[in-house]
Order: sequence, then structure tokens, then C-alpha cells
Amino acid sequence: MKTFPQWLKILLCIFSAIIALILGIGIGSVYITPGEIAAVIANKIFALPLPETTTDITAAIIMNVRLPRAVAAFIVGAGLSAGGAVMQSVLANPLASGYTLGVASGASLGVTVTLFFGVTFLGIFTLPFMGFIFGLFTVLIAVTAASRFDRNTGSAAVILIGMVMSLFVNAVVTLLMGLNKDAAKSVIFWQMGSFSGMDNKTVLIIFPITLVIILLLLRYSRAMDLMTFGDEQALSAGVNSRFTKTLLLTLSSALTGAAVAFVGTIGFIDLIAPHAVRKIFGAKHKIVIPMSAVAGGGFMVLSDLLARTVIAPVELPVGAVTAIIGAPIFAYIFLKKSK
Amino acid sequence: MLTVKKVSAGYSGKRVLFDITFNLDFGQCLSIIGPNGCGKTTLLKCIANLIDFDGEISLDGENLAKIKRRKLARKVAVLSQKNEMYFPYSVYDTVMLGRFSHIKPGLFAGEPTKKDIAAVNESIEAVGLSCLIDRQINTLSGGQLQRVFLARVLAQNPQIILLDEPTNHLDLKHQLELVDYIKKWVGEGKEKRAVIGVFHDINIALRLTENVLFMDSGKLSRMGNFRDTADDEFLQNLFGVNVVSYMTENSRFWESMKNGRHLL
Repeated sequence: MKTFPQWLKILLCIFSAIIALILGIGIGSVYITPGEIAAVIANKIFALPLPETTTDITAAIIMNVRLPRAVAAFIVGAGLSAGGAVMQSVLANPLASGYTLGVASGASLGVTVTLFFGVTFLGIFTLPFMGFIFGLFTVLIAVTAASRFDRNTGSAAVILIGMVMSLFVNAVVTLLMGLNKDAAKSVIFWQMGSFSGMDNKTVLIIFPITLVIILLLLRYSRAMDLMTFGDEQALSAGVNSRFTKTLLLTLSSALTGAAVAFVGTIGFIDLIAPHAVRKIFGAKHKIVIPMSAVAGGGFMVLSDLLARTVIAPVELPVGAVTAIIGAPIFAYIFLKKSK
Repeated sequence: MLTVKKVSAGYSGKRVLFDITFNLDFGQCLSIIGPNGCGKTTLLKCIANLIDFDGEISLDGENLAKIKRRKLARKVAVLSQKNEMYFPYSVYDTVMLGRFSHIKPGLFAGEPTKKDIAAVNESIEAVGLSCLIDRQINTLSGGQLQRVFLARVLAQNPQIILLDEPTNHLDLKHQLELVDYIKKWVGEGKEKRAVIGVFHDINIALRLTENVLFMDSGKLSRMGNFRDTADDEFLQNLFGVNVVSYMTENSRFWESMKNGRHLL
């Protein structure tokens, strides 16, 4: 890939993601051709007439089932990957992710509390809302504690306190699950991760959150470049570490939290996508963040496609698929790099 | 002029630096000398405002602890021994990070101006790495890498450079080159510049400058020209070993190597 110019690599990556989306929308119990997909979308957006061969049922499958599901998978993958890239840089640790700081455990607690006490104040959005708030709150506690403990909010302090918080919150989740077996089943089902419930409403909620946060993160791309060299380097080159780190950790946790809250804890993608992107495009965050989003989105769409088609009609947990494919890929990228 | 006034500092409530006071004029270098754990690096960290401290450190009367990070970075830069790097940046991009405090962020992260680009190219040329400008830094040798970080510090265009044992991973040739380059940087004299260095190797410290500050157990022990302030007994007490005898023996050995005299 080194011989290709950067713009060509970017175009290829975007093109691959579009192919992934077309496959994600087209493949399933009913096969839909790319032409039909384009026709139905053009019909909805520009009110162009549908070709005679395309039935209303096909149009309904695309617009109400496949498209929202594939787009939601793309956005969730994009958010998790961009969030992972930020965490790794800000904490100058190639293995860091939103999960390191307790986003997933916090979200699990939110979901468990919701199911345990039967909270329903936001209707079907209660579960994701509680997951998001608890996930973000867990990270905020970890980061605040770390900044009290260390005036520059040192990465080692953040990671340590994040892991302690994570373990503690997980223990509370286990405790609550032990007390209510019915809620426990639902929590485990949620934790496995799935895109089966995705509809247009969900997409309309997570799309703006993800897009706005990614744009905000880009403003700090140069500060993140410096932070990958460690706290002291960043500070002495002019980065206000305490403020920048707290802000970036909060934004990336919100990004991860929003994704996790709707679809459950899906691992590995936040590690693989940013590392693969760095290998292909170099480490500058100006490129790494948007390209991690594109690559992670595409990877998630393909993972979801596999999850629902490999042993159809049974649907596999998508988190298991990303981990099964992701672990060897990650090991390959990482070990090859350290040679 | 850099003024360090009654500076004390510590870690986790334990004090390791006590009432350090000294001045350094622009155009000067200063080597801080002392045994392990005497507080040399801690003092540098205070000057760079990397840790909390009591007392006051000012540059031309401006309190360095009270100015914003971005502005501080345009005045003080640090070249240290430890550089974590897990991610593949090119030499050019790494040196460009030195311009962080000069680049104004716009709606996004801001773009470097012609001046920034010129400063980066000039710094890379100064450390002799122009031929490796597009190489990824994780493929460089320790010596090359340290020169990249030196270029980044130069691109930062500070008034004071703090050297925290920057020659640790370098071979002799690169140690000498680095120190000579830094001396030249200060000595150009067109701008207000100064350097404070911490080195393990007394010979390297003296190659930078004979203007030294001796530290012992977190306190300033003596300061001035090495020849006037240190003697045999003082150095033995400071390091717990007879420094002068050791150096003399070494000199004799190397003297005997001259022109192959040892073979005679």
C-alpha cells in the first residue's frame, strides 16, 4: 500500500465501505441486486419511479429492514472505531479502548438497573438512554478521580482507575443479576450485541451524535498526535493535557457509549480498525479518525452480515463474530508491526 | 534572563528539591551535575512546569507557572531521554508537531503556514536528517530518533531548551554532535536563547559548558565555573568515588593510545 498515493488509498477505503453496505443491504433471505437497492433509494429520495421488476415488498425490505440495519451497523462501527482511535492516542496506549475505562461496564449497569427495576420513562429508548448515561458517568468518575490524583491526569492513573471502576461496576452488575434471574437473561442477551432491533428512528438518533462528536474530535487531531508521544512530550509542546485529555476522553466515551447503548457491547472493532488504518495511512489523526470510522463502519456491516447469514435463520451475536474474526487479524497486525 | 527563586518540589508529599535559587542569562549554557536521585530531573520538570512546585520561576520577569501551555511552549522546550512511540509517524510529521504551539487552530486543527513548513525543513536539515524526511520514525535507529526529537524541539523555536539526559541512547559520535549542535544553537546569539542540561557523563556535561550547578540531596551545593567551584575532595564527597583519580587514570590510558604508543 505504500506505493499508492494517500488520496487513492482513501478512495479505495471509502469504496470498500460502500461495497460492504451494498452487500449488507442486498444479502439475506431475499437477495436484492445493487440495481434494485439504488432504484429504491432513488425512489425515496428523488421520487424517481420504481422499475417494474422491483416489487413493493422488496422496497419495504430495503427501506424498513435492511437499510436501517446496515446503516446502523455502519454508524455503530464508525463510532466504536473512532472512539477507540482516540482512546489509544490520548492514553498513549495501543491497547486502550472505551472498554478500558468502563464504558461497557457502566452501560451494562445502566441496562441491568433498567431491567431490574422495570424503568420505562422513555419507552423503548429507556434502555439505550440508561446505558449511555451510566457508561458516560462511569468514565467521568474515573477521569475525575484520576485528575484529582494526578494534576496532569496521567495516562497510567486514568487506565488504572478506569480498570478498577470497571471491575467494581461489573461486580455490581453480577450482584444484581444474581438477585433477579429474569433480568439476568435479558442483560446477557443485550451484552452479546445485536442489530436486529434497528429501525429508522434509531438511525436518526445515533447518526447526529456520532457525526457531531467525530467532527469535534477532528479539531483536536494535532493535540492527539502529540499525546501519542506521552504526557510530558505533549505538555512541553504546548498541549493543555488536563483539559484536552478530559474533553477527549469524555467525547470518545460518549461516542462508544452511544454505540454500545443501542446494540450491546461489541468488542475488538475499536482495536482492529484504528490499527489497520494506522498501518495503511500512517498515524496522523487528521486521517486516522475519519478513516477508522469508514473502515470500522464497513467491518461492522460485514460482521453483522455474517452474524445473520452464516447459520440463518439463527442469528449469531455480532460481538462474537467481530471477536472471532478480529482477534486473529489484530494479532497479525500487531505482531507483524513489532517484528 | 531565567530566574529560579526558592524552588522546592516533591512527589507524593515527599520533598526532593529544597529552595533552589539561581539565575541564567541568555546566551549561556548551564550543566546540572550531581549523583543519581539528587533532584536534577525534578528541577528541569519544575522549569518546564510539568510538576507542581513552591517558589517562582520567571523568564524576563514573566512567571512561567502562570502562562498558558501554548505560550510556555514557545519559551521553553524539553528534550528528554524517554520518548514513548507506539505509532508510525513520518520524520516530517513528528518534527511538525514541534510547531503545535505556533499553529492557530481554526474550525478544525488548523493548517501549518509557510513559516511553519520552513522552520520544520530547516530543523530537519540542521540535524542532518533531510534524506530520511519521509521515513517512519519506528524504523529509525536510537541515534536517528533522538535527532528527530532534537529537530522537533528546534522547530518549537523556544528561548530555553532543557536537556534531560538526551545522550543516553547515543553513541559517542552522536553524543558529541548533539552537544556541539546545541552549543552552536545558543551561541548564534541573534535571539535570546539559553540551555540547561542534565547529563550522567561529566565529560559530556563539561563539553556543553564549564558553567555548572552542583546538586546534592535536592539542594544546590555550588554554582559557577567548574574549575573555580569543584576540587578533588568536593567531587569525592558528592559522588562517593574519587572522580579526579578515575578521570586521570582514564586520561593516561587514552594518552598511551595516542599514535599507537601502547604498542611500543
